[in-house]
This record gives sequence, C-alpha cells and structure tokens, in this order.
Amino acid sequence: MTTPTLAQPRPRPIGRGPARAFRSPLLRLIGKRLLAAIPVLWGVTLVTFLVVNVMPGDAATQLLGAEASQEQVDALRDRLGLDEPLVERYVTWLGDMVTGDLGRSYASEQSVPAILAERLPVTAELLAFAFLVSLALTVPVAVLASRRPNGILDRVSMMLSMTGLSVANYVLALVLVYVFAVKLQVLPALGFVTPKESVVGNIKSLVLPAVAIGFPLFCFYTRLLRADILEQMQGEDYVVTAKAKGVGPWRVLIRHALPNSMFGLITIVALNLGTLIGATVIIEQIFSLPGIGPKLLEAINNRDVFVIQSVVLVLATVVVVANLIADILYAVLDPRVRYERPAD
Amino acid sequence: MLARDPSSRWRRALCVVSAMAASVAIAACGGDDSDSDTAATGGKPERGGSLTVLAGVGYAGAWPAGLDPATNTNGAANQHYMSSIFGQLFELREGGKIYPSLARGFKYAPDAKSVQIFLRKGVKFTDGAPFDAETVAWHINRVLKSDCTCRPTWPVKSVVAKGADTVVISFAAPYGAAINSLIVSNANWVASKQSLEKMGERAFRLKPVGAGPFKVVSNKLSSELVLERNPDFWQKGRPYLDKLTFKTTGGDQAALQAMQAGQAQVYDNVSTPALIDQAKGDDKFITTQHESTSPYVLQLNTQAPPFDDKKAREAIYYATDTEAIRTKLFKNKYEVTQGFTGPGGLFYHQKVPGYRTFDLAKAKQLVQELGGLEVTLGTIKVLVAEQTTRALQSQWQQAGIKVKIESYDLAGLIQAFQSKKWQSMLQTAGSWDPAAGVGVAFRYSSLSPFSGTKDKKLDGLFAAAAATTDNAERDTRYQAAAKYISDQAYSPFMFAFAPATVVTKNVQGPGLSEPLPPIVVTPTVPWEEVSAVSEK
Repeated sequence: MTTPTLAQPRPRPIGRGPARAFRSPLLRLIGKRLLAAIPVLWGVTLVTFLVVNVMPGDAATQLLGAEASQEQVDALRDRLGLDEPLVERYVTWLGDMVTGDLGRSYASEQSVPAILAERLPVTAELLAFAFLVSLALTVPVAVLASRRPNGILDRVSMMLSMTGLSVANYVLALVLVYVFAVKLQVLPALGFVTPKESVVGNIKSLVLPAVAIGFPLFCFYTRLLRADILEQMQGEDYVVTAKAKGVGPWRVLIRHALPNSMFGLITIVALNLGTLIGATVIIEQIFSLPGIGPKLLEAINNRDVFVIQSVVLVLATVVVVANLIADILYAVLDPRVRYERPAD
Repeated sequence: MLARDPSSRWRRALCVVSAMAASVAIAACGGDDSDSDTAATGGKPERGGSLTVLAGVGYAGAWPAGLDPATNTNGAANQHYMSSIFGQLFELREGGKIYPSLARGFKYAPDAKSVQIFLRKGVKFTDGAPFDAETVAWHINRVLKSDCTCRPTWPVKSVVAKGADTVVISFAAPYGAAINSLIVSNANWVASKQSLEKMGERAFRLKPVGAGPFKVVSNKLSSELVLERNPDFWQKGRPYLDKLTFKTTGGDQAALQAMQAGQAQVYDNVSTPALIDQAKGDDKFITTQHESTSPYVLQLNTQAPPFDDKKAREAIYYATDTEAIRTKLFKNKYEVTQGFTGPGGLFYHQKVPGYRTFDLAKAKQLVQELGGLEVTLGTIKVLVAEQTTRALQSQWQQAGIKVKIESYDLAGLIQAFQSKKWQSMLQTAGSWDPAAGVGVAFRYSSLSPFSGTKDKKLDGLFAAAAATTDNAERDTRYQAAAKYISDQAYSPFMFAFAPATVVTKNVQGPGLSEPLPPIVVTPTVPWEEVSAVSEK
C-alpha cells in the first residue's frame, strides 16, 4: 500500500531560510527601527540645514571676516552658490549626499569625507573610552552601594556622585591635568598619540579626557542604577520569592535584580551618546585632541554648511544605531520585548 | 566706582569658579615676586631640540582656510606658522627696526611712487626652486589679485621683476608706508610657484612650500602643525631648532597647565589678566608683556542718532573714566591713551592736546541738555572687552545715560556694523604703523563699513600721513589726525591692551624671551633665531 502522502513532495518547513529570518521577531524589530531611522535622519538634515541658514551671517561673511567689502562678499557668495534658493541648495546637497558626495569644506576646500576620516576616529575612540570608563565603574559601584542602602559605601558613592554631577567637565579636566600631569606627571596634559604610533601612548593620551567626560556620566549612571536596583530589591515579588527560596542576597542582587534594573541605564546611555558631542567640543580643545568636536564648532562659526551637515548626520546615525542596539539589548534581556508581547 | 550689575551674578559665579581653577593650577608652583620675568636666560643658543608652541583656539589656533598666503584670511593671527614656513622678506625686530631677511634691502624713489626690493642671492625654496625676483613678483601679484580679505589695499600700479634679484613695486600715488605695510601683509610670506603649480591650490593650502626656516611635516587644520628644520635655509647655522610643533589649545588656563606639565614651552597670547600675574610669579616661566600697538577705542556712529549730535559724543567723553577702569579693573597693566597709537607702535603719543577727560558734572549737564541719552554699547565676545563694557555701563549710568550692552561673536559684530544701526562699539584701532595692515583707516575711513565717521578731511589727513617716507613728517600728520578726531569728539580712546607671551625658562628668542613690537596683536617671532637652551 502506498501512502500518497509520502509520495508527495514534502512541504518546505515553515521558518527555514530567508522566510524564517523575516519572521524572526528580533530581525523584524531591527528592520522596523532601520526603516523608522530614514525619516529621522532626513528630518535631522533638514532641521540642521534650516538652522544653519537662519543664523546671522553666512559662509561668505564669516570666511572673509570683518575687513571684507560688499563686493568681495557678493563674489564669494556667488562662487559658493549661496545665492541660490534655499530649497534648491538643500535638494542638491541631499541628492549628492545620497550618491555619496558629501561636498567640500567652504573654508579649506578639503573634501568632507577626508575631514571625517581624519577627525572622527579620535572622537570615536575618546567617547568609547569615556563610556568604557563610566560603565565599567557604574555597575560595581551601584551594586555595592545598593547592597546596603545608607551604608558607608552607599554614602561614599553618593558623595562622589554629587561631586561629579556638580562639577562642570571643563573644571574637572583642569583639575585632572593639575593632579596627574602637572604634579604627578604620570599622564600627558595634551596631545593625541595614534595607536599606530604607540598603543600605550594612545591609551595614556586618552585617559584624562576620557575621565573628564566619563566621570560625570559614571556619577549619573551610578545614582540611576542604584535607585533602580533598590526599587527592584524592595518592591518586586520575584525578589521576595528568590529570598524565600533561600537564594543568597548577593545572588538575588546580581542574578535577579541587576538585569532587571539595566533597562533604564541602557536607555539613558543610548540617549546620552548624541549629547556628548557638546562635551567633546570643550574637552578636545582643552587636551588639544584633533577630534570632530572643535571642527564642528569651527564649521558652525564659519557657517561651513557641508561640514556641519555631514558631522550632524554622522552623529544622528550614531544615535539611531545606539538606540537600535538599546532596543536589541531590551529584547535580549526581556523576551516580552522580543516577541512584542505586552508586559503583564 | 564700578556699580554692581545684578544681571552679572552668574558671570561672577563663573569667574569665582574659574579663579579657583586657576589658583589650583598655579598656586602650588611657587615663584617669587621679583621682576626678573622678562629677563632672558642668557645662555648661548644651541643647535637642536624641539619646541611645542600652544595657540589659543579663538585666535592663532584657527587656520581653517589653510596656510596659502593668498587665501589665508587669518594671516595676521597665523604669523608664527607663516613666517616659519615661508620666512619673511623683512622682519620687524628689536627696537622697531626693519631687518632684511629673504630680502637684503629696499629703496624708495624720491617721490615715494615706487619702491625697489633687493633680494638675497642664491636662496632656494625648500622644493629646490630658486627664490628669484620673478617668483617674488608673481607672488606679490597673486596676493594682490586674490579675492581674500587678506589682500593688501596699497595703491599699487604694478609689481615687476627687474633682473634676477630686484622687484619693483610702483604706486598710483605716493606711498611711503609700503615696506611697513609689506611686513604686516601676506605678501611678506613668499610661496613657491613651482610647488603651487605642481600640487594645485587645494593641496598647497595644506602642505605649503616656502623658503623659510622650517618645512611642513604634517598639518591638521586648526589643530596641529608639525614642522621640521630646513637644512638649506639661507642663514648658516639657522634655524637652531630641529622641530617645531604648534598645537591649538582651549585657552589660557589649559595652555599654562600644559606648560607646567612640561608638555609645551611657548604660549604667546595670554590675555587673562589674572593668569598673566600668576605666570609672572611662576619661576619656571619667562613672561614678557609686549607693548600694545592697537588701543581700545569707543567707536561712536556719527551717521545715526544719538551720536550724529556732537553733544552726545562729548557726553560720552566726559562720562568715561578710563583711568578708573585701567587701575581698578586691570591693575595698571595697560597704558591710557588718547589717540590711535599704542606704546609699541611708530608715532606713539599718549596725550592729545585738548582731549576731553572724565568730568562727571559736565557729562550730567550735557545729558540734561540733550533731554536724556539712551545708548547701546556693543563689543566682541572677548574677556577684556566684555569686562570693559560692563564697567563703562556703570560709569555712564552715573552720568544719567541709559546703557544697554551687547556682546557679539564675529558674525554678529559684522552684521551689526553692516546694519548701520549700531550706536557705539568698543573695538581696537590701529597697528604698529597706522597705515599698515588693517590700520586705523578701518575704523575711520569714509569707505570702510566698520567706520563710525564719514569725514573727507579726516580721510585726507590719513592719506597724507601715509604718502611720505619722512617719519618725522608722518608723525606730525598723525598727530594732526588724532587731534582732529579728539576735537570732533569722534571716539574716546581707552587703554592700550596687549597680551603677554609665556615661555619656559629654557626658551630663548626675540619676541619670546625678549620683547618685540607686536605688528598687530602679538609680535612676529623670527623662529630661525629661537633656541631651546639646555638646562645645566
């Protein structure tokens, strides 16, 4: 007896190959976020373009300076195409950008990708270092502080955090230079060493600027994470259950409460990334780092639109990607997010 | 007496924080009260070594357009880089003497309608091309024809090469300030035609080639410029240094800390008065206070109310107590001046006959006669200027003048001038030679958009002063111009501000360990003469 069912070609199992990949909740989430990023990035470029163009003065007046005659300003405006209508200029830039042409700096006539390639790695390394410093310290300090609320460690961390939150990072930078470069002479006060030149020199050149940026972040993150852990430890049923089952206090804290407390921290870290460019402007200047912060400031002063647009676009992309990573981390930490189920 | 402005509470708080940071930075460095800061170490200059020079972000530390003399609008601020790479035809040296460098001399025609520049023979650019008259004439023509605001505004008719080593500049009108103007201009830094044509303008801006004491190794715009010794420099045994690195830093405080940490040796533009004092007290440093060439002036817009009325202008003269600001705010650091010349400049005269000095009663009376006076006083966002406008606000208010103060960035300042609606502006005026560079005409010429006066007689006085090569005659004519400005009450002058240079004790050189007249704001340092003396 034949079994027709066996003779028929076996139906392709649902969920194998690309079709299955499409049905992966995590990939769907990533796809959705990436699609949503397109209008966000477009909006960022539009707003930046408008803001730069409504500011008083334009590249011609800024570049020529106070001594320029009206004829000189008009001639430069004509050469730079600043006489063309705003919409036309924006659409041209957008079209060029989509095809990979980011234009040239009005001031130096350097290509914008060359500027980004020269400057961005320094800032990226600095910010990565700053986040590393802050996050590496945040988790253990917040855990230790929340283990015994109002205990000595908690009070010390509170004092440290309040100090860090009340001191502007440029003041902190000057104090760090005074202590570690002037008095102890263990770290450089300025300059950047590329990893190619010396890995140790590279790390040393970034320690003080990274701490100047990362320390206030550490203080803020520590207070946030500590409060979150305490909330979990004091009010959540699963903590009570774990304790009732005889799980040790450290294990409850680290294995149960800490992962659940990480959501707030992840959100803040992702959001913080975009705002840190402000800190890099000052810190990179103080430490003479050839990063993108001072370049952005100079471009704003010179109304160097293509440079501004491109830097802001890169930063916006970084923020979008950081938020995407945050979303992925939520999904990793919480299956309800992964499968888009409402929280109970 | 300086009244308190409630709106400045936050600023004062910020000042306290800054001062604390400054104290932390410098307090522990010891030092004495001796006046030996301006004395050089006196050691014999040695060949070799390297220096790191810091430049403040807002001035010398910005070279966004690159370092081509024909396009660098920031040339005056970037003079260290330009003179290191290109050398100078003529240098302004000790005692205000013009020293021939790549040129070996000059000669004016008797009618001052042309000047011949004689070039040093056998000099080569660092790319091997000859430094000859044809290249120098090409360079000066290129600078004169560029659309850069750095373009000199001399009344030039032609610039031609005469033989291999003479360049002749002819003028449409007598111009006795030609060489004085040349040393302040981008024309003084001769670019290599061969390299420019080979590299193209864009690449040349980033890695320019000249015949100066140093060659470019790397250049990160407005960030870091690394130079190495030119072994074929025309002057044997010069430069002393092997390497020169310029780095942009955040400002006075950060720069001085980096020097204390031993990571930089020169910072030439300290303008924060408290930090100048503290650097003077630090025995690691030599602090040289240069003599100003560009005093602060209160420009009054005579083309618009209220200062189209002479009485209103006179009220401002009488209500302004410069001496109080100079002594109380700036601790006697800067000289009071009544004209557009500073103590470091040519033709300096502190006093102007008949100048209206502080007289509160007269100011009050004039304000009363005017039926009240409301004024907007603007300035650029610079610490000393902002402190001065706040002090002026309180002084003028005592005379019954209502004062609104504004601080602008450069764009805002240009807009304010171009709107023609501005009333008064605290600015600097003049330069080492009043006819040179931006010069005094910038603030007073009828044709300048940044002038508050439109007066043909004053234009004529300035033109006449620049027309002769006789310095005594020029001096007399500039005195007449200063008197005329004072008589017409066009603009009260304040004090002659100049920044200081701080170097570590092992650094020696004119303009660093020894004073030189600042051409515009700071002196042009002849870097070939700078050495790092080993500490024994």
